Amino acid sequence: MIALLDITALDAADLRGAAPMLAVTCGILLALAAEIVPALRPARGLAFLGSLVAAIFLEVQLIAAPAGEIFSGAFGATASASLFGLLCATSAIIAWAYSLRYYKLEAPYKGEHDALILCATLGMLIMCGALDLLTFFVGLELLSVPLYALAAFRRARRDSVEAGLRYFLLGAFAAGLFLFGAALLYASSGTLSLAGLRAASLDAPLALMGGALVISSLFFKVSVFPFHLWVPDVYQGSPTPVTTFMATGTKAAGFAFLFQVAFLMPAGAAALTGALAVATMAVGNLAALVQTDLKRLFAFSAVAHAGTLLLGVAALAAGDPVASGPLDAALYYMGAYIFTAGGAFGLVALMESEDERFLKLDALRGLGRRRPGLAAALSLFMLSLGGFPLTGGFLGKYFIFASALRADLLLFSVLGILLSVVALGYYLRVVMTLWMLPAEEGAPLLESKLLSGRLVTWLCTVMVLALGLAPGWFLERFF
Amino acid sequence: MNLILLTFLPLAGAVLLLLTPAGSVKVQRTIALVTTSAVAVLGVMLFGNFDGISATAQYLSEAPWFQLAGKEQPIDVWFRLGVDGISILLVSLTAILMPLVVLSAQVHIDKRVKEFFFWLLLMETGMLGVFLALDLILFYFFWELSLIPLYFILGIWGGERRLYATMKFFLYTVAGSLLMMLGVIWLTYQTGESDVRALMTLASGIEPTVQLWIFASFAIGFAIKVPVLPFHTWLADAHTEAPTSGSVVLAGVLLKMGTYGLLRFGVGMFPAAALEAAPLFMGLGAVGICYGAFLAMAQTDIKRLVACSSVSHLGFVVMGIFALTEAGLVGSVLQMVNHGLSTGLLFLLVGMIYERRHTRELSQYGGIARVMPLFAFFFVVSVLASMGLPGLNGFVGEYLILLGSFQASPLWATVGVSGIVFGAVYLLMATRKLLFGALTVEANENLKDLDFRETFILVPLVGLCLWIGVAPNSFIHKTSGSIDAVMLRIETARDMRTTSSAFNAPPDAPATVAASHHEQP
Repeated sequence: MIALLDITALDAADLRGAAPMLAVTCGILLALAAEIVPALRPARGLAFLGSLVAAIFLEVQLIAAPAGEIFSGAFGATASASLFGLLCATSAIIAWAYSLRYYKLEAPYKGEHDALILCATLGMLIMCGALDLLTFFVGLELLSVPLYALAAFRRARRDSVEAGLRYFLLGAFAAGLFLFGAALLYASSGTLSLAGLRAASLDAPLALMGGALVISSLFFKVSVFPFHLWVPDVYQGSPTPVTTFMATGTKAAGFAFLFQVAFLMPAGAAALTGALAVATMAVGNLAALVQTDLKRLFAFSAVAHAGTLLLGVAALAAGDPVASGPLDAALYYMGAYIFTAGGAFGLVALMESEDERFLKLDALRGLGRRRPGLAAALSLFMLSLGGFPLTGGFLGKYFIFASALRADLLLFSVLGILLSVVALGYYLRVVMTLWMLPAEEGAPLLESKLLSGRLVTWLCTVMVLALGLAPGWFLERFF
Repeated sequence: MNLILLTFLPLAGAVLLLLTPAGSVKVQRTIALVTTSAVAVLGVMLFGNFDGISATAQYLSEAPWFQLAGKEQPIDVWFRLGVDGISILLVSLTAILMPLVVLSAQVHIDKRVKEFFFWLLLMETGMLGVFLALDLILFYFFWELSLIPLYFILGIWGGERRLYATMKFFLYTVAGSLLMMLGVIWLTYQTGESDVRALMTLASGIEPTVQLWIFASFAIGFAIKVPVLPFHTWLADAHTEAPTSGSVVLAGVLLKMGTYGLLRFGVGMFPAAALEAAPLFMGLGAVGICYGAFLAMAQTDIKRLVACSSVSHLGFVVMGIFALTEAGLVGSVLQMVNHGLSTGLLFLLVGMIYERRHTRELSQYGGIARVMPLFAFFFVVSVLASMGLPGLNGFVGEYLILLGSFQASPLWATVGVSGIVFGAVYLLMATRKLLFGALTVEANENLKDLDFRETFILVPLVGLCLWIGVAPNSFIHKTSGSIDAVMLRIETARDMRTTSSAFNAPPDAPATVAASHHEQP
């Protein structure tokens, strides 16, 4: 049976483990309060940033000294869950910093926007540490429902509304899959906690079916082939700061739980997962190769990156002899990805916020001459996404492929590596457009004086380089 | 002498360049020239002080960097630089070549000067790092680092089809280096070590078939870079489109990273696997010599001709390395430098004439020895050095390589020798068409001969060609200790191979016994 939470039985460890989530909850309340009391409105940004920074600070403490299982085993404030949580909170900050002057028509509703982002972040934190299918589902919905609204946030624009609707319909479908899968698992094993499921025998067809449904719904959230079809349209149609958040935060939270429930896959599913990983990389990279719209190109690249991370899950399922290898690799990969993709999508937001249009790749022509700093940052992000040494993206990729090789997934590793050559084809096309093609006549300057955007771009740049050059510093502290 | 200073001085110069205002071209040129000259001085000092008898790495600078997940305990990755007999010549060559490249860029790089020197200096750090890194992971970092600058140099300052050439160059090399990454991962995991020196002994402890796979992943990465025959198509495009300075660096140093890798990481680390693969690579090398020569013969573009001659000359180096004999290895190490000097010279000369006439078609020239005697002198010397005329550097290297190859495989050595003849054909034909005969094209009548700057660039290189040609021992001695160490490993592997093939009988024996048991009833 599901043990109902007894408020009076909470102890200090429970509070410590839940502290980051409580901090974000405070942030939500403050953001909403600021909407009601006009005098508080100027402090809204402070509340948003303060709560997230507090959450990050608390997560860092939890990484150093994990609180372990709290709330009668419904939530695990472990080091890896806290690190995933930290990444999610960071991705919210990055997305928010790029959103500050992004909206024009919707500017009066910016308070709702911020509160919704905080809600989604809270959902992510819950997903990262969930040790129970039901806890996870609460987190999933807390993430999804705000994101449906956020995707459609530019309500005057058809593509935004369409993105929201599309995301909602498919997301609701995935949520249904998850619930049905959880119900089947409960029917066959009598428990919803991961510990209980681990102990139970899951060989019955009912349990296998349930596990497959749960995993599939997660595949949907993290955009694994063949559940990736919503990604390009939703990513393109959504306001770019929201896309930034979706691409980084949702992926981190989804993979955090995917690693937790990888045991639901039957023995022998490692090969299937590996094949799906390679297929995801193939679909993402090959489709990105022919895109001319920058956001769509990055959307397909995001799909490809989900494939690489899935290779880590496959390594876990296949049994990496270094037990912590796949999860650590995925964490490092995700850490680099938050800053790289966050920066890349964010720069798109920065550049397109000046007027209402999609940013074509050609609009970047000659940008290296006109705005060298911005172009250099974007080039660095491209190289990191392509997994080039000196950047965090390289080490993340190195760790994932090392784990896959250790787990004897040689074929998938070789195919994955060859596909990442394809990936460099389009990442370098962006670099080429920036530096090697002359600007078109009368091209807009793509100027943006948004201070927070610049600061966060600097943060992302420094972090991408630091993760690539001084990995020891991070590995010692966070792993 | 501090190798960290040597390696990162160019990077410091590059950062300094970024701080200069865009318009101050003179300041930027001075910074680039001063930095590369300082590195050259350090490089020459390093060469002078280096002890060639010892096989151990010298001037070690190291610091712990980070840890990778390993089998039983984590693998310590070190930031470790050191120089030994295999790298010393290439390090010095790089250091000496770069200030000359900076000087040569004075005329033909007239736009985005700051960016150009930034990439050039960054590339120098990358190349020096590749030769000096004594940690496998660090090596891989530098290996990839040296790729990006050339991508930009080709793509921004290249010719008309530069975008195609730069993309082709990049994707070819990246495909190779990413496959190499899998080899790096597996090698460090299997041995629990990323120190190159320790790996030299540890790598032979890995299961032979696995060794062969790791060797293959390395060999493909390096072979694309060299480029060995089936992968050579990126080279001609890259050279044709690159600006002169880019071509000089590409031919002079970057391609050597491939042969250097084959020697240190291919043969040095996996002698047993190299023995298995030797016939294949010797064959590819020998065929490459002739094929490159035939390609060069068919060219009408003088720069493309020099580029194709690179394929031919590097075929010698590959053949010499995989001869797996002492003479072959020494010859290859020397020939890497020789090729850097003579091909560098040729590219510089072609660039100088291109700056005057803006065409590289051989038919547009003829008889210019009359108006440009100094140019003609340097061109002929370079061609003779490239052909392997005794008394110049090419002869020593090619002779040693052929000697070593003949011991290993008379067949391929013979094919290689014929390559020298073809080489003479295309080089002399090109010289005749370019320099001699009647001055048919009117535009050539008023060509100015080389000025002081251009002569100043060429003299040190020609001097080195002559020095190596006359007194090769002062260079060979620097490499002897390390080459002996590699030879020792090759001999051990060869002995193991003969004994294990003698041992191969017993595993067969039970099978025959079993078979005879079956037959008995």
